[in-house]
Amino acid sequence: MILWEAFDKNEIFILILNILAYGVFFLLPKKFTRDIIILLLVWGFTIGVFFDFTIGGGLIDFYLLNDSNKYGLNDVCYYLAFAPFGYFFVYFYEVFHINRATFIWYVTVWALIGIGLHWIFILIDIVNPKNGYQLLYSFPVFLTTQTMTVLYYQLIKSKHKVFKNTEQPN
Amino acid sequence: MAFAVFFFTAWLITAIFFAIPKKLTLIENTFIFMLILVISINWSWIIYEGFKFIKITKEPMNYTGFLFFRSVTIPMLLVLQLNLIHRSKMFGSTAVITVLSVATLLLLDGLSIFFGITTYQKWNIFYDFLYFTGLHIVTYFFLWLFRKISYRGVDYS
Repeated sequence: MILWEAFDKNEIFILILNILAYGVFFLLPKKFTRDIIILLLVWGFTIGVFFDFTIGGGLIDFYLLNDSNKYGLNDVCYYLAFAPFGYFFVYFYEVFHINRATFIWYVTVWALIGIGLHWIFILIDIVNPKNGYQLLYSFPVFLTTQTMTVLYYQLIKSKHKVFKNTEQPN
Repeated sequence: MAFAVFFFTAWLITAIFFAIPKKLTLIENTFIFMLILVISINWSWIIYEGFKFIKITKEPMNYTGFLFFRSVTIPMLLVLQLNLIHRSKMFGSTAVITVLSVATLLLLDGLSIFFGITTYQKWNIFYDFLYFTGLHIVTYFFLWLFRKISYRGVDYS
């Protein structure tokens, strides 16, 4: 394991992304109970790690992360940025009172935001596609993971108290 | 053959988990599953791909079998044993369940070698024994920590 191959634009972008994402996370009013907050952060982080190590490496190896095949601290920081986004996805799902009809728009817009970020990641060499991988292949990945997130969150909401105050689940 | 065996074990452990009465909440089960999944993925990446202590097959179906073991069987078995342990809080049954859980993982490791999915280079089964035992300790610790942070001031039992 290394720290990074060369500290340049991709490392700087990952640092800025983390500062911004965690800054927003800490500034947003705490809406959820502590266990839900931890769960959503770990959920976002795990999905990032799971997909990257399953299709981004090993035998399939659709992309090179950062400047090196070696696992680096900058790679870990990249995955850490996924954690608050897992939280934001559910946070704004509640803020905008997303329902069965608006869910389609909500997931589509988030998937497009995901594609946009992925495009920037490719531009600044955080993600380097190979073996025929194309940016748009990430679209179904985003649609699937975000739909799963909504379904899972609705399941949790039906069984547990998710809000910090007395707000009741739908 | 190897893919079918590893897919079956992943399915079987998941099915047993769904069949048993759960002693952990859905949130706790998910948290532990994800935590162990992240550790399992990182561990295998560092040990297999980074240090190359263990060689993995390049045969696609067997490699998929390995992915099922790494990403489904290991975390699911850890979650399963945690639920079983919390059904009976006696030390004896905790020890037996833990030993059986570690033994199952070692048995699957043996099968992985037998089918040629993995080949030890600078590694041996004792290191895996230490890793799996450590993984169980980490699981107990993180469940305790999660409960402590989440339900501070609340008696969850």
